[in-house]
Amino acid sequence: MSGREAVVVTGLGVVSSLGDSAAALHAALCAGQSGLGPPPALEWTTVGCRVAGALRDFRPERYLGADANLRPLDRTGRLLAAAAGLALADSGWTAERRSGMEIGLVAGTLFGSLATVSGFDCRALTAGPSYVKPLDFANTVFNAAAGQTAIWHRLGGLNATLGGASAGLEAISFAAQQIAAGRADVVLAGGVEELCAESVLAFARAGLLCDEHPIPFAAERNGFALGEGAALLVLERASRAENRGARILGTIGGDGRRFDPSRGADEQAIVAAVADAVAEALRRSRIEPAAIDAWSASASGGRLDLAEALGVARVLGEGAVRLPVAAVKAQLGETLGAAGAFQVAALIESGRTGRLPGIPGLERPDPRLPMALAGPAARELRPRRGLATSLGLDGQVAALVVELPEPRP
Amino acid sequence: MDASEIRDRIKRVICSVTSLPAERIDDTTSFRNDLSIDSLTLLEIGVDVDYEFRLNLPEDRFRGLDTIAQTIELVQGVLATREPSAQPG
Amino acid sequence: MSRRVVVTGLGAVTPLGIGREVFWSGVLAGRPATGPVQSFDASPYGVDRGAEVRGFDPAAYLRRQDPAAMGRASQMAAAAARLALADAGLEDVPQPGRAGCVMGTTTGEPLEVERFDEALVARELDQVDRRFVHRYPSPVIPANVAAELGLSGPTAMIPTACAAGNYAVAHAYDLVRQGTAEWMLAGGADAFSRITYSGFARLGAIAPDLCRPFDRNRRGMIPGEGAGLLVLEPLEAARARGARIYAEIVGYGLSCDAFHMTGAHPEGEGAARAMEQALRTSGLGPAAVSYVSAHGTGTPTNDRVEVVALVRVFAERAPAVPVSSIKSMIGHTMGAASALEAIVCCLAVGSDVVPPTANFEEADPGCNLDFVPNRAREHRVEVAMNNAYAFGGNNASVLFAKVAP
Repeated sequence: MSGREAVVVTGLGVVSSLGDSAAALHAALCAGQSGLGPPPALEWTTVGCRVAGALRDFRPERYLGADANLRPLDRTGRLLAAAAGLALADSGWTAERRSGMEIGLVAGTLFGSLATVSGFDCRALTAGPSYVKPLDFANTVFNAAAGQTAIWHRLGGLNATLGGASAGLEAISFAAQQIAAGRADVVLAGGVEELCAESVLAFARAGLLCDEHPIPFAAERNGFALGEGAALLVLERASRAENRGARILGTIGGDGRRFDPSRGADEQAIVAAVADAVAEALRRSRIEPAAIDAWSASASGGRLDLAEALGVARVLGEGAVRLPVAAVKAQLGETLGAAGAFQVAALIESGRTGRLPGIPGLERPDPRLPMALAGPAARELRPRRGLATSLGLDGQVAALVVELPEPRP
Repeated sequence: MDASEIRDRIKRVICSVTSLPAERIDDTTSFRNDLSIDSLTLLEIGVDVDYEFRLNLPEDRFRGLDTIAQTIELVQGVLATREPSAQPG
Repeated sequence: MSRRVVVTGLGAVTPLGIGREVFWSGVLAGRPATGPVQSFDASPYGVDRGAEVRGFDPAAYLRRQDPAAMGRASQMAAAAARLALADAGLEDVPQPGRAGCVMGTTTGEPLEVERFDEALVARELDQVDRRFVHRYPSPVIPANVAAELGLSGPTAMIPTACAAGNYAVAHAYDLVRQGTAEWMLAGGADAFSRITYSGFARLGAIAPDLCRPFDRNRRGMIPGEGAGLLVLEPLEAARARGARIYAEIVGYGLSCDAFHMTGAHPEGEGAARAMEQALRTSGLGPAAVSYVSAHGTGTPTNDRVEVVALVRVFAERAPAVPVSSIKSMIGHTMGAASALEAIVCCLAVGSDVVPPTANFEEADPGCNLDFVPNRAREHRVEVAMNNAYAFGGNNASVLFAKVAP
């Protein structure tokens, strides 16, 4: 898809542990700052979580209005609604401009809100089922945040929720395809995930959390840190963006999606799934592997990091050795449903600023890592065709190509 | 429990559920008309008031409640049947 | 690329029974499968009606995976997937690298989070299942199906609650249509749970006796469970292998009310937009629709608003279009609902019979169309419209048609 019919990005809305704009987030990433710290005082202190990427000072009223009644929204809903407000402002879709049209929303999430579901059920267990809270019930469904955000900002267009830890990336290609098919005009696409005691407990019990620091691709990596936040891209047709004089931050390219039936148990199966997904994304973008000049990886410090890299390398061949790579989960933590969208936001900002974040702490990469340039320092370069990959917890693999515009003079 | 303590606790519930400041609500403010509270929120107010005082009322006892005055009356009535020695009001 | 897409296999695990034939014959008989809740003690709720799947033994259907490794919704989904593939004559799972699974759900695996909560409340954190993150969240359902069948194509979860089955079918239709996959499994699944039951009971939404969609004395919905899976493939491939074709998917529409989390827009505006988009994208007008499978939960509000929306779209023709709700028989199976209703639409198209709305005793003067009361009816079904509406305001309509030569 190219030219006037291409689907482009005209704005970004981000609430993260490193700031509430894509620019601030990107600057912090390049400066090697970390959004991770000791986990917030959670109810269960013996869970074995030493570090997490919480939004310590998230004030939803800042984004949603000082007088607003926030009770109906849980934290996940507030994060997503905040990011949506920021995205609409960033793209110039003011209330007046969008009156009379229906803006859509496609959001990925893994848990929706585990805190809400669990809190709802624990009230039933402790006080009896007649005391469950009706407003909480509305938020126990996985699509609650997307529904609440649509109500809040009057987004009556296409609305969908995708479920999984790769869903933030999947949401972007889902939305782009709906726009290309003429089912939607303007869509906010990305993902959201909250940090809560319940999810920390769940991941700690799974043995997936790192000891001290999550270092993607490191030889000594021993797990990831959980993070939270929301990131949304504003997507619309190039013709509409140009007609209204909007900034074009990037163009959504082809995507690829695969499933590893071994669910991460067999390294060769994951490598194949990643390679096939990446190859399909390139094919649908009509570009050669050599055209990829930056990679925003899903790598988190977890076990699958190397297989992800081997999969990308299988497609890029020798080009993998000199492929610049960013891995934002080193500094944001694993933001699950939001991760893929954060990864794309980082690519877009890298295109705009000419700097790709490094991977802090990566002094000793896994010896099998093909990407020789992976390291802690930020890198000066202007990516033109970025690749983002996102791996879910259960074998899902998503890949997306994002084309970045020529820098403005 | 006297009416003023009941009123304070009910108001706290309503303010928590609606994010409205206490000054916005007096004994005769209509939940539906003056505060535009939707049915789900009204239901939650009923659940939380019940929980606050452990009234254990059937669901439909809360339908139709539209002011703090009516709610106080309901709560007092139930509490009185539970503590025959207490004087309501 | 844009290929025509047809449905060639149907698999169902339902309160009326397991398998397409048992399900369809129960639906045509207008037999309600609702009754007293059996899987937990419903006495604290003041209501006790549910629609549970009885006598389901996942081990009888799963071949690759241990049923104990997954939750109930996944078990039902994987079983329904095996049934759908057998129904399609594709038991050998051809081209597994070019096929995947898209599912919808409302609650993922709720029994897993209930166990999680029991451990929390008992303060026994070491009782929390180490596999919880791989057993509870919504994406595990299509992952379990794809792993059971060895599929490595696109696999996704669209958890848009009570409209999710339609969303999943719509997305899988796009993937096959565009050539991203050579065939797909699509549908929805949800397991019966105290969490869901508590919520609907607390809203006062559960009917005390039967689910009576569109009836004047309807008193609510009845929570249910189940899984429905459809096999989608290109028309040409289906013809080339001599497959039985149930119906062609000709279009779909998605919309959002952006109005209220649990209540529909009173003028059915979002629902009408979804129907209109489905018609527009299929190149059909309202006059082409022969039958509507309604969302029809049986709550006073939903049914009234749904009729308003149908009248908006079908105008003076509305009273002539048969509309029925199979929730009258299987209750509200949540994420499985619109998938099971899609199965019913395919069978209606294939057999020219429209299913009834069961338990219909008295028409509601404010809400009165042809609901096919109580008895199935022979009726030529060229095009069936499947409608679904969800918490969060998600609306979805999918159109199934006889295959035009």
